[in-house]
Amino acid sequence: MTPLDWAVWFGTLGAFVAYGIWRGRATRDLTGYLVAGRSMPWPAVALSVMATQASAITFLSTPGQGFADGLRFVQFYFGLPLAMVVLCVTAIPIYHRLKVFTAYEYLERRFDAKTRTLASSLFLLQRGLAAGLTIYAPALILSVLLGWDVRWVCVLLGGLVAVATAWGGSRAVTHSHFLQFSIIMATMVLAFALVVRSLPPGVGWLDATALAGRLGKLNALNVAFDPDDRYNLWSGLIGGFFLQLSYFGTDQSQVGRYLCGQSVAQSRLGLLFNGLFKIPMQFGILFLGIMVFAFYLFAPAPLFHNPVEARRVAAGPHGVEWQALEARHAGAAEMRAEAARDYVAARRDADERAIEAAGRTLESAQREIGEVRVQATELIRATDPGAQTSDTNYIFLGYVLRYLPVGIVGLVLACIFAASMNSTSSELNALASTTVVDVYKRLHRGDTDRHEVKVSRFATLGWTAFAVAFAEYASRLGSLIEAVNILGSLFYGTILGIFLTAFLLPRVGGTPVFVGALVAQVTVLACFRLTGISFLWYNLIGCAVVMVVGRVLSVGRARPAAATRT
Amino acid sequence: MSAGDPPELRASADGSDEPPPILGSWRRLYTLVIAVLVVIILLLALLTRAYA
Repeated sequence: MTPLDWAVWFGTLGAFVAYGIWRGRATRDLTGYLVAGRSMPWPAVALSVMATQASAITFLSTPGQGFADGLRFVQFYFGLPLAMVVLCVTAIPIYHRLKVFTAYEYLERRFDAKTRTLASSLFLLQRGLAAGLTIYAPALILSVLLGWDVRWVCVLLGGLVAVATAWGGSRAVTHSHFLQFSIIMATMVLAFALVVRSLPPGVGWLDATALAGRLGKLNALNVAFDPDDRYNLWSGLIGGFFLQLSYFGTDQSQVGRYLCGQSVAQSRLGLLFNGLFKIPMQFGILFLGIMVFAFYLFAPAPLFHNPVEARRVAAGPHGVEWQALEARHAGAAEMRAEAARDYVAARRDADERAIEAAGRTLESAQREIGEVRVQATELIRATDPGAQTSDTNYIFLGYVLRYLPVGIVGLVLACIFAASMNSTSSELNALASTTVVDVYKRLHRGDTDRHEVKVSRFATLGWTAFAVAFAEYASRLGSLIEAVNILGSLFYGTILGIFLTAFLLPRVGGTPVFVGALVAQVTVLACFRLTGISFLWYNLIGCAVVMVVGRVLSVGRARPAAATRT
Repeated sequence: MSAGDPPELRASADGSDEPPPILGSWRRLYTLVIAVLVVIILLLALLTRAYA
């Protein structure tokens, strides 16, 4: 890292925070603080929705996923456009007409207080922990690659977010998202162009694509139905649809984003924009990883991309075996580079026989590299059973730090921090909204707007402290990260079922839906404990059980009073 | 929603009956989003097949 990179990095971050504070300066009342005065045009809603979903991990991990696993992850998003359409028809008009601050407020009007309390409590618990992980995950990667203490990176990230979010609330969050996400996307396009430019002379992006395709990286679509396979057309379309419906329809960190829209039409356009551009965006980021993979076909790649783990094994009792693996890896990589050059030359000459011969050598070398890497992860595990054996998250940033030009490195790092700040700020704003609207205001009626804004600011700071504290706790209990992610997916389907029942089944009242939610939860937990079904399907199962049980328990029940209908 | 709903639940000046800026109706815009999804899946299928 050069002084110019440091200057760009911290200069950009400082400008982002200052911009957020400036845009949030006019916030005086609760509507302004929690939903930006319901004044945002659709472009701001659209980019804020996208920025909330795209955390730093999206920009760190997704290229690595493209590098390691090809394009198949893109199928995860196939259900998203369908979910956007359903939410435009159902949730948005209802939330806007009732002028709610949180999604859970609606549940009390539609059902009863216990259903609202259940949903908001689940949200506060899950999202509070998730905010810690949103800070911790990129902090861990940055700390490993930069050699910093992860706790200080967490404190720095949390502090930067807290300043603008606590001061300006939703108005600052939405305006910051618009600016930051635009710059992040421009930087990713620039990074893509620079990766392509870093390919050897005579190797273009089409050659790189052909090489990646030959090595099985362009596996974008799998039509085989397999509930245990996480990414295929059907899990993406069906399981992904329910997951995205839950996330965008019932998670306040997203609901709060489109409630900022100045009208139903503006909120709808924001979500539909996301429906149109999310898949191309994810494809682009995965393809960036494919280009990095193609780059490393010609350049020396590390045996393992997490330098801390690699150093630990090299210095440990298995150091000699590690060095032998490194030598084997370098030999196979050299053979692969030679074959890749032959492959590109044969393609240029349109010599089918030479293409096939070079392709076979390429595949053989790639297999050898794969075997060496498997043995390397075994050595890592043998050295430290609790070590991270996946290096996917370190691939892209490792490339950036080594090969991108001076100045651009600082810009990319600033963008990764900004991406983390974007998703964290939405989470903190949503946690503050839910705390104030669904808990505080029910206990303290009649407070002035000014006082409620002050309470919201304290709530934001309190949740920031909680998130940073949990991030530090997570750093000592690595396996907890996975546990919390699974925990979140276990509850989404049930919450979605409650909301879809509210929207679509007018005869179902509070108690039947509450019982349905309990039955659904037990069912999902049983699926988790007793079957190997991929977690994406839990959303569908939980949702369906709530609706079916709620409907069955309401047979013969009279249609409820008009005031609760939608 | 129906005509019997209370005022706060009816389409009103909040823009719920406001048409989108393009294509004239929300139904057409929703169809466009779904059509784009179908096209994307077809293109990805072609890409996968081309390099299978």
